[in-house]
Amino acid sequence: MICREAIDVLADYLDGTMPRDLAAELERHLADCAPCRAYLATYRKTRALGASAARVEMPEEMQERLRRFLIDGLRGV
Amino acid sequence: MASLVSIRTPRRLPKIPGCRLRSLSTDDRSLLARAAAGDASALEILMTRYSARVFRLAYGITRSAADAEEVAQDVFLQIVHKGAGFEGRAALGSWIYRITTNLSLNKRRGKRRELETSLDDLLPTYLPDGHRAGDRAFVLADWSRTPEHELLSGESRRILEAAIDRLPEHYRAVLVLKDVEELSNEEVAQIVGDTIAAVKTRLHRARMALREELTRHLGAGM
Repeated sequence: MICREAIDVLADYLDGTMPRDLAAELERHLADCAPCRAYLATYRKTRALGASAARVEMPEEMQERLRRFLIDGLRGV
Repeated sequence: MASLVSIRTPRRLPKIPGCRLRSLSTDDRSLLARAAAGDASALEILMTRYSARVFRLAYGITRSAADAEEVAQDVFLQIVHKGAGFEGRAALGSWIYRITTNLSLNKRRGKRRELETSLDDLLPTYLPDGHRAGDRAFVLADWSRTPEHELLSGESRRILEAAIDRLPEHYRAVLVLKDVEELSNEEVAQIVGDTIAAVKTRLHRARMALREELTRHLGAGM
């Protein structure tokens, strides 16, 4: 396996959906390839950071405005 | 506001591998019918169950609180107006995610070129033999041991947010559905109406683009 092929399959590897023989081949590549080990580590961290940064919760006052908007609509106000 | 419409019996769904969103339950059907008939308490229950998810996804795609609020209003109006006719071929949550995605993408129409850039410059480059190309220190940069709270504050947070803003909206939709809402690739594909392969490609490219932006910022200090 070469770096291009290794990086192509990182998402499946982290998902645990990769066939066992391909995962073993990737792990052999990672054992010998410091750039791909760094790539995997930072890719994994990016996944967690992206999820945290992209997770924006609805403010309470907006929730209340939405509730009022819909309930008023139901009542025909 | 809306008249009571009879609910059809849902057809039996083919089993979708990896799909965890359940199909329409009796409880969901009853809530949709009651909301369509003007029952405020049913609508409140639907809001309690789904408004947080609707807002997260709408914000994730539009990256604007004002746009996400309008999308949330439109989503629940559609639930009231069209929910009673919903046949339940998919899970209610999946249907709501789909409405939210479509309305959010519509909201972005005409704005999409303001911030978004091509991802091509943010993907890894390779030598002719398939090995990583680039400065040795850069390809070896590993900032993954930096604590998450540090990376999610200050300049690196700003860079991450800007990188998310610059992702094409279809990529952001997939990123939020998969990494924030933690749905399976199969569920995401159903929601965005694309193939599993296309979803996986977009997700991978989006993560690689964010990783590249962070590495350009953090890698210098490694």
